[in-house]
Amino acid sequence: MIFKIAWRNIWRSRTRSLVVIGAIIIGVWGVIFLVSFSTGMIKSYIDNAIRNEISHIQIHQPEFLEDREVKYPLEQGPAIANTVSDMPGVEAVAMRTLSNAMISTSNGARGIVARGIDPTAEAKLTLLNEKVIEGEYLSEKGRNPILISKTLADKMGVKLRSKVVLTLQDLEGNVINGAFRIVGLYETSNSGADETNVYLRANNLSDLVNQKELVHEVAIYLNDLNLVDTTVTQLKQAFPGTTVQGYAEISPEINLFNSQIKVSSTIFTVIVMLALIFGIINTMLMAVLERLRELGMLMSIGMNKVRVFMMIVLETLLLGLIAAPLGLLFGYTTVQSLGESGIDLSNWSEGMRQFGISEVIYPYLENQLYTQLALSVLFTAILASIYPALKAIRLNPVEAIRSL
Amino acid sequence: MSIIKTSGIHKTYNPSTIPVHALNGVDIDIQEGEFTAIVGPSGSGKTTLLNIIGGLDRPSEGTIEVGGVDISHLNDNKLIEFRKNNIGFVFQAYNLIPVLTARENVEFVMLLQNRDTDEREARTTELLNAVGLSDKMDNRPSQLSGGQQQRVAVARALAPKPRFILADEPTANLDSKSTADLLDLMAKLNKEENITFVFSTHDQRVIDRARRIITLVDGKIDSDIRQN
Repeated sequence: MIFKIAWRNIWRSRTRSLVVIGAIIIGVWGVIFLVSFSTGMIKSYIDNAIRNEISHIQIHQPEFLEDREVKYPLEQGPAIANTVSDMPGVEAVAMRTLSNAMISTSNGARGIVARGIDPTAEAKLTLLNEKVIEGEYLSEKGRNPILISKTLADKMGVKLRSKVVLTLQDLEGNVINGAFRIVGLYETSNSGADETNVYLRANNLSDLVNQKELVHEVAIYLNDLNLVDTTVTQLKQAFPGTTVQGYAEISPEINLFNSQIKVSSTIFTVIVMLALIFGIINTMLMAVLERLRELGMLMSIGMNKVRVFMMIVLETLLLGLIAAPLGLLFGYTTVQSLGESGIDLSNWSEGMRQFGISEVIYPYLENQLYTQLALSVLFTAILASIYPALKAIRLNPVEAIRSL
Repeated sequence: MSIIKTSGIHKTYNPSTIPVHALNGVDIDIQEGEFTAIVGPSGSGKTTLLNIIGGLDRPSEGTIEVGGVDISHLNDNKLIEFRKNNIGFVFQAYNLIPVLTARENVEFVMLLQNRDTDEREARTTELLNAVGLSDKMDNRPSQLSGGQQQRVAVARALAPKPRFILADEPTANLDSKSTADLLDLMAKLNKEENITFVFSTHDQRVIDRARRIITLVDGKIDSDIRQN
């Protein structure tokens, strides 16, 4: 019967209850949308970083990581790549020859990282071939072809078919150089990385430093992010004397961004819940003050304080129980819908590319966040009901019953 | 058998600032089955006395026994329990729960007593029949006239099988016909089922029907008359 009274009391002031329910729905939807949007944005950054640049796992010679000098090759590189390609969960493996270098044209010079790749393996690993926007991807054809980004080409004042000179050190530290012809211009979603990385065939780079099959890095892409830790452990055991790193170790800012999402989501949720608390308190306080006589009567005829308290809490909780699922449903539908179609932010793509974020954001929310949000709303409703409920049980029945 | 007995009841409001002495030593003894009206001019203390008898307020001095139990020193929770099981209230403004039907209003107080469903339903039907509202059981208070609402309030007051019923100005908001019907109903319940009624009232029609009239003046009993 108390449930019945509480339920019917909600609809005594239909407009007021609908306003509170609406506020909760909008609050829940807002939290879901903003958290899913920022999660999608960070996820885009992480996915791009992993896919385009760092992969899930990298293996190096330990000394190479300290100086990144060409003289510290990974001797077991080809053997490692062979072994890894047969491991479960591995989607793609590629070996790279790396060297810090200077790229020069008639217009000037810039410091870059020359990445010697196996075009076929790299295409599977980083999908680099799909990012070529002018010219063609690296192949076995031609002499000393090089792939540079459109951003770098613009800054260097060169175009397709232009010749550039790479200057670098060989294994003994001697300065050497080689001429390369631009066969393609690429563009990824990270303009910062685009300015730094140029791609050439690994054998061309090895030849330049006068070394046969020089490998500095084995990069691995897995088909499941959750396999990273176990695969890293297995590789460390299998290849002692090498440094095996997962993506979070290679790029610590990924963890920073991940924890930033959690912190900002929590702060935003708390702010919205605080706003809801005051809205609900206001509504329930009005509901109590409007019913002083009735509450006085209930206490007079023998309804004890616990039951009066519970009735007010129940009324508030019911508001939350009506609103929260609707808010979650609208939020879920929005995330599912925009998660498919994406939010096109191409008007701001230049700024976003500098941070390595795609121009289309796909909102994403982990399922557990829906549960957490539902519990937050119910907790908020209970918290908000305490003050009005205390107000109700502190009433003096005699005074309450005579109130207008 | 004495059902309500007060001894030296004093009630002072605002004792530390500007004291108002609402009751100044009231001794009354109401027997089971009496039909009593407490009358007096405004400010004479009749509502205060009714509140104290009903366990809604505490005396500043003196004791009050209901059915042999001294309720003047019970704590809040025990007092609520006591009211629930021993006293039926009829209020001037009916004070039904607006979101419940007549049937649910009557049943509600038995629910507070944790009576079982069958008993609640049977007694609710019996009481609403007794007050002549068998055809209005599923109506909400807003769908009933003032007289009908007050009849539901009487049925609700009777529902917990109280020792007596306190009615504070029960006819103040009723027209003549409704007042007469309500007084007939209460007189019948008093006569046939020996239910004790205590009213506070200004209404001469109620006073005329009462069998005992206690008149308060300035917080003291001025007269205590029994009439046939």
